[in-house]
Amino acid sequence: MHRAITAAVGAVALSLPVANAAAAATARKIVTTRAVTGPQEVADRWGYVEVTLVVRKTTTIVGTHKKVTRRITNVQVPIYPNHTDRSVFINSQALPLLTQEVLQVTQFNPNIQLVGGATATSDAFALSLQAALLQAKKI
Amino acid sequence: MHRVEHVMGMPIVVALRGERDGDETLVDEVFDRFREIDRAFSTFREDSEISRIRRGELAVQDASEEVQQVLARCAELRVETDGFFDADACSRGGVDPSGLVKGWAVDEACAILDRAHGREYAVNAGGDIRTRGRWTIGIQHPLDAKAVAKVVEGEDLAVATSGAYERGEHVRDPHTGAAPHGILSVTITGPDLATADAYATAAYAMGGHRAPNWTARLRGYEAMTILADGRVLATPGFPAA
Repeated sequence: MHRAITAAVGAVALSLPVANAAAAATARKIVTTRAVTGPQEVADRWGYVEVTLVVRKTTTIVGTHKKVTRRITNVQVPIYPNHTDRSVFINSQALPLLTQEVLQVTQFNPNIQLVGGATATSDAFALSLQAALLQAKKI
Repeated sequence: MHRVEHVMGMPIVVALRGERDGDETLVDEVFDRFREIDRAFSTFREDSEISRIRRGELAVQDASEEVQQVLARCAELRVETDGFFDADACSRGGVDPSGLVKGWAVDEACAILDRAHGREYAVNAGGDIRTRGRWTIGIQHPLDAKAVAKVVEGEDLAVATSGAYERGEHVRDPHTGAAPHGILSVTITGPDLATADAYATAAYAMGGHRAPNWTARLRGYEAMTILADGRVLATPGFPAA
């Protein structure tokens, strides 16, 4: 399921300082923000999980040179287990908050294509995330 | 392209890039191989060769060559890991090579992809991965599924992780039956996934006191151990991005 949240934010033109003022090139920046959503996955006995990544793609065009960078600006979980055991699921996800300052934690970014070391409590999350990451490259 | 199928009790992702991108027939062949392996090795199937061996209906020497090879490799790994990877001690119902079969099945799948000259691919079986070509792999944080503990980058890698909440198996020290102490996870990288996975399971079972030193002695395999106190100990050649 794809859900476009925001599209084509805008184009900004700016001049780059170059040695020869007469040859000043014009850079054009196109920023696009899209959401990519992984499939709904079964989270053991807890229900379904679905992960959406919000990806911001910046295309910088200087003359014929084009540079594309992508950044994950948000990770959302629009569908999560709605079950009497929901608190158990949330607790298992919240557990790391207690130790986060001890361990180094970095966020997923679009350069990451594969998710290794999936855990039992987060299998569905990891799988949906895995699929979303493989799609993030395509926006 | 990529496809996900649930085989062997876990989601398996096969991703193709480059000249073989979009080759559905090749991916069909890969998943057929996973199902074939599951039929022979699953301890959840009454009619699998492994179940028949466990019930005493089939002698190991009468089993298929593949089953014999896998069981022989389990015995080798038991010695290599000082008994911390032990296919006999894992369960009461007799031999259980499941801890090796997952990685071995991925290696078999990769052999199919290699024969097809699929030079760029990745297979992710429940968080254990093998790649051909250059891929970037985020190793999930052992305590925070939404975060990454380390990013691994390299060409032609097998990457296996064993940790506290590993799916389907609760790793224990086969000598004492106790849960590992002072350790959150071990990630092993190297040429083949069966070996990497067995090493990761063994090192994790050793616990935080012993695992880092043991992994430092491995040949051809690199390791990253995350200790319960938050220290991350990696071997010098570990392919961190």
